[in-house]
Amino acid sequence: MRQRIAELVPSLLAVALALAVSAAVVWLTGSSPLVAFAALLEGAVGSRDSLAEVAVKACPLILTGLAVALSFRAGTWNIGAEGQLLVGALAMAAVAQVGGSMVPRPLALVLGLGAAAAGGALWAAIAAALKLRRGVNEVIATIMLNFIAAALVSYLVQGPLMEQGGRYPQTDALPPEFVLPRLAPYRLHLGVALALLAALVAQFGLFRTRHGFELRAAGLNAVAARLAGIPVERRLFWAFVLSGAFAGLAGGIELSAITRRLYERFSPGWGYTAIAVGLLGRLSPIGVVLAALFFGALDAGSNTMQRTAGVSAVVVYVVHGCVILFLAALERWQRNRSQGT
Amino acid sequence: MPPASDDAVSSTRARATEAPLLAVRGISKRYGRVCALDRVDLDFHGGEVHAIIGENGAGKTTLMRILAGEETADSGDVLLEGQAVALRSPNDARRLGIAMVHQHFALADSMTVVENLALTLTQPGEWRLSRKAIAERVEHWAQATGLQLPPLASPVGELSVGARQRLEILRALIRASRVLILDEPTAVLTPQETEQLFALVRRLRSDGRVVLFISHKLAEVRDLADRVTVLRQGRVVAHAKAPLTDLHELAEAMVGEPQVEWSKPPAQVGEECLRLDGVSTDADAFGTPLRSVSFTVRAGEVFGIAGVDGNGQQELFEVLAGVRPPKSGTLWIRGKSVSPRSPAELLDAGVGLVPPDRRREGLVLEMSVLENFLLHRGTLRRFTRSWGILDWLQARSYARTLVEHYSVRVPDLDSAAATLSGGNQQRLILARELEARPQILVAAHPTRGLDFAATQFVYRTLAGAAQNGAAVVLISTDLEDILTLSDRVAVLYRGQLSPTLIPPIDPLRLGALMSGLEQGTAI
Repeated sequence: MRQRIAELVPSLLAVALALAVSAAVVWLTGSSPLVAFAALLEGAVGSRDSLAEVAVKACPLILTGLAVALSFRAGTWNIGAEGQLLVGALAMAAVAQVGGSMVPRPLALVLGLGAAAAGGALWAAIAAALKLRRGVNEVIATIMLNFIAAALVSYLVQGPLMEQGGRYPQTDALPPEFVLPRLAPYRLHLGVALALLAALVAQFGLFRTRHGFELRAAGLNAVAARLAGIPVERRLFWAFVLSGAFAGLAGGIELSAITRRLYERFSPGWGYTAIAVGLLGRLSPIGVVLAALFFGALDAGSNTMQRTAGVSAVVVYVVHGCVILFLAALERWQRNRSQGT
Repeated sequence: MPPASDDAVSSTRARATEAPLLAVRGISKRYGRVCALDRVDLDFHGGEVHAIIGENGAGKTTLMRILAGEETADSGDVLLEGQAVALRSPNDARRLGIAMVHQHFALADSMTVVENLALTLTQPGEWRLSRKAIAERVEHWAQATGLQLPPLASPVGELSVGARQRLEILRALIRASRVLILDEPTAVLTPQETEQLFALVRRLRSDGRVVLFISHKLAEVRDLADRVTVLRQGRVVAHAKAPLTDLHELAEAMVGEPQVEWSKPPAQVGEECLRLDGVSTDADAFGTPLRSVSFTVRAGEVFGIAGVDGNGQQELFEVLAGVRPPKSGTLWIRGKSVSPRSPAELLDAGVGLVPPDRRREGLVLEMSVLENFLLHRGTLRRFTRSWGILDWLQARSYARTLVEHYSVRVPDLDSAAATLSGGNQQRLILARELEARPQILVAAHPTRGLDFAATQFVYRTLAGAAQNGAAVVLISTDLEDILTLSDRVAVLYRGQLSPTLIPPIDPLRLGALMSGLEQGTAI
């Protein structure tokens, strides 16, 4: 238990330092950091409405954060959550287009979200196969696949999947059968519950099952894992594919519950923020949920901050960036210290 | 302070009777809660070889690093010729003429001999490096010290370990006009190379330098040292002076408890377990490919494979571990030929592995002790329940019994394996592998870096495995390992295996085979 708490320290410290730096940035722009942060806090946790909004904003980050955590745990760098998310959303939009109103709701959702997960998994599998068969660096492969996915969405929403009779480069609105139900009068939707469930499953899988153990061992030390008889390549491949499935699901849920249409710039960069979420969550699924809620709160609160304190919402990106920088620095510092003994 | 007189004083040795050249007074150093050195007082006289011996963690290396300016003491003084000196950095030590040769060489493998010495041989403020001028200086120093150097233009990576060490020593000598510190210098050498090193050290001693020699091999200390200091848990616990007669006493001082003489009981040999038939491997950028290696190992015996590192040991281990498929030849396990494509197949066939590099290959350092006990295919399977769920409760109690049975000293089962000492890491690996009941145990360099007590434990455990009917393959560069444990021995040289030797084995014959002086023809 004490170790668990000790693991939280770098994350909390990184958040504190990042907030301090952004406070300085706010102060330099001539505003009061106190007022700004008060507005941010108000916007994030000031009312039940805003709390629900935080959960909604956190939802895609939880799933993409899990994607990052899973692949990093396996010792591979899936930087492609963004592309996998887009392909997932695309797959769901395509299934909805074909299925229309012919299928009843629960089945439609299962099919749609299943297609989203499968789409993301497939997109990740391309990078994984390239890595294992051809030795292609997965960082480069996944980043490239992100661009391809964005281009693919852009092409499809302006061509084959463009709304009928409309003039905007976007798909038709999803038929109601494919829309995830709301859980409350706010924007809170069933997808949030699905994301939390996914986190629990991932947590259990990683730490309570043999495959999870093998995946972690392979990720930390592939040589030792191989000598212990663990099929390292296979674990790595499936970790990558599962990672893609999580990201794809994030795209499907966002499409189904929030936007209902696919268009260019569908994702504000969730797949990239996910890296910060995964690292801040110390690559543990539960940690990812907490980190995603933090980033969700920043996102939800930043609008209020802009409105009432007059501080640009862009400030939260300073927090994003600083969190990663400080985490990396703190990790390094910790390692040096532990080696000193 | 030990009395400073010696019966057989030669003219140069007479300097030893003067005031100490180097002395430490009340040196203490703590790392967190661990006290590495506790008010150590020592005198070192010019013209003497002073051996510092002790177990791992006794503080030997810390003390030497303080003298070399790589660590600073928490309290206490270092006196050079009676004057207190400040050693805040290796540069300070260099100015005072103190230099250290580390166990792990600090040479750039891809650069040539001259290039590796260039920085040491350049004066402060000298901007232009002329290869020719440096080469001349290298020759000058080589002559002055009588060190035989390899061709100056050859890349260091291609040199033998002994040659690399000579290079390190030369580099240290250029700086060490007064004090030369050698940290376990013989760990990587053949017997012949060790002899050369000792001859060199004796020569240096006669120049009036202090030579400090860290070791935990008592036989070497007896051969070389004029004075011996034993450290245990950061304190000086014993002094001795040449000639050393009772090594037993020193061993006890080192370990802190009475040592029982132990020798391996004779083998009860059973049926053939493992056979290699003309196994060769592909050449790659590093290492040495195996060339038609054949041997058999039977149940109950220890087959020792000696050799200088880099002669195919890694390749042989990898073949036996199933991570390097042979190019040609056959591997037989209990009469069945196998061509493993992964360690899994061999583990299932009853092979246990003690890998050469325990930190990189034997453990996942970031994982807990408990998890490392599970790091074996068979053990994992044993604790997997339906739906692939691990039974952590059972696994935990299993790990607890192993910790007790193999006396692995761990803070608790949930602390990272990285926090264990080398000896305890090896105990963990041995426990994990032996509890999987292997019929064939492949142990590579099992005592590397371990201290006296931990080494003894490894010996007893491996011999115990053989006695319980396992066929043990012992790959080691340490002759003591080989001679203590093996029922039969062969030497690996440039990827080829020598004819099998049967004890009693002449270490010099073994050394000749190891250095290729005597060509063994592969069977």
